[in-house]
Amino acid sequence: MSLTTPGNISRNTSPNSAAPAPKPELKPIPGMRKTVKITPAEVQLFSKYIYGLCGINIEASKSYLLETRLGRMLENEKCDSFTTFYHKIKSDPSKKLEHQMVDAMTTNETLFFRDTNPFELLKHKILPEVFDRRMGKSGAIRIWSAACSTGQEIYSIAITLRELLGPTPTINLKLMGTDISDAAIKQASYGVYNKFEIERGLPQERLQRYFSPSGETWRIKDEIRSMASFQKFNLMGSFASLGKFDIIFCRNVAIYFTFEDRVKLFEKIADVLEPDGYLIIGATESLTGVCPRFVPKRHLKAIFYQLK
Amino acid sequence: MQALKILVVDDDPVTRTLLAKRLSKEEYQVDTAQSGVDAVRSIADNYYDVVLTDLMMPGGVDGIGVLETAKEHNLKTEVMLITAHGSIDNAIIAMKKGAYDYLQKPINFDELILRLAKIQNLKHLMKNASDLRLAMETTEQVSSETIQNLEMTVAALEERISNIRTILQRAGVSAEERISMALVG
Ligand SMILES: C[S@@+](CC[C@H](N)C(=O)[O-])C[C@H]1O[C@@H](n2cnc3c(N)ncnc32)[C@H](O)[C@@H]1O
Repeated sequence: MSLTTPGNISRNTSPNSAAPAPKPELKPIPGMRKTVKITPAEVQLFSKYIYGLCGINIEASKSYLLETRLGRMLENEKCDSFTTFYHKIKSDPSKKLEHQMVDAMTTNETLFFRDTNPFELLKHKILPEVFDRRMGKSGAIRIWSAACSTGQEIYSIAITLRELLGPTPTINLKLMGTDISDAAIKQASYGVYNKFEIERGLPQERLQRYFSPSGETWRIKDEIRSMASFQKFNLMGSFASLGKFDIIFCRNVAIYFTFEDRVKLFEKIADVLEPDGYLIIGATESLTGVCPRFVPKRHLKAIFYQLK
Repeated sequence: MQALKILVVDDDPVTRTLLAKRLSKEEYQVDTAQSGVDAVRSIADNYYDVVLTDLMMPGGVDGIGVLETAKEHNLKTEVMLITAHGSIDNAIIAMKKGAYDYLQKPINFDELILRLAKIQNLKHLMKNASDLRLAMETTEQVSSETIQNLEMTVAALEERISNIRTILQRAGVSAEERISMALVG
């Protein structure tokens, strides 16, 4: 395979050459598609638009993300500039393009039993405590995965519960996974994963026990699938419809928001957490200076938060 | 880049030897098995990047059986099947069960080598991705420990400061006494 290399690169690099060198005509590299460039004005336009839709904050230095992540959509929609693309999305009454743009701009990176520690924490501390407290009381124990992406997090919680309680738990459990991305929620509710997704975080034993192969993919078994429900939900909006939760996982999503929005988010989370409930955030996240209503507590190698 | 490790499975000694020779010449690392049963044994003991197997073999384990064993053993192993001319239906069943591809007899070696090169490329990309992931996980783990320690330390300090504030604001105790109480607790 040969790549065309631009010849004579050094020709105009002498610092004291008088006239500004004419820009060398870049030969296209075979196999590399030409991407539509975004102008600074368009960066602003799209950053504002995307921020308004999902709170994701695209810093100026990361504006290339718009080109790389939306390039395919521009091509599909046959738009030759970001401005044309903008008007096309805005004028789509079905909002399909808008949803696709959110799907493209969100980072859905996740894996089963991510970071391990939170799930050990659940098993050995949080769940036993919650079960104890709830003994004899009516009402379900509610667990929320607040940005569940393609479902690995809530299913890891479900598997932990299943292993702790056996196949016929007498405790009333309600697991909810929400995310802003249509595509992610759709995959989560199907519970279907490809071999790359399945290889991450799942030892063979759990894979065999809780998934059935179907061709190239694996499907989570109904006994686990049926423990969780999924819903599209924007963390930037009001939490009034949610009710209260005993356990909230809000991991690796606030990192995409501005500091101010993070403050607002954790305020709202504090409002929907039961007084003795538990909050778990991402392994590299911190609430210091973000929400004084929470106190961090350590159990073995994991940290969780409770209301003061 | 490390050479692909390939297991060639065929009950026909002529084809088997020919395949092994050609592939070794391309500097692939080649093992052979003379039946499905033999292949199952090799797969249990070794990791192969690619298993190249005849679809129809006597002795209880055919190409599909080899495919299933290989996939059960390691999802990363790619399986290519060699099918007799006209047995496309079986090849499609194999593809549904996770085969990477199939070749029809008589084998076109150039085609085979091209496909192996594709697999090699794919493996290379996958290795890059998993190296990156590993690097990221290490960074994440180390920074997570640092952040969590800071989180606990700051929380403890905040509590201490708030206790001191309470003591310093206490009424009915002399300033000096308050200060010494604050310093202790
Ligand atoms: C990196 S994933 C985290 C998945 C999982 N919690 C984990 O830690 O593995 C981030 C998810 O946040 C979602 N997200 C981004 N902005 C959101 C918003 N405003 N409301 C709800 N979900 C959002 C994205 O769609 C994405 O699936």
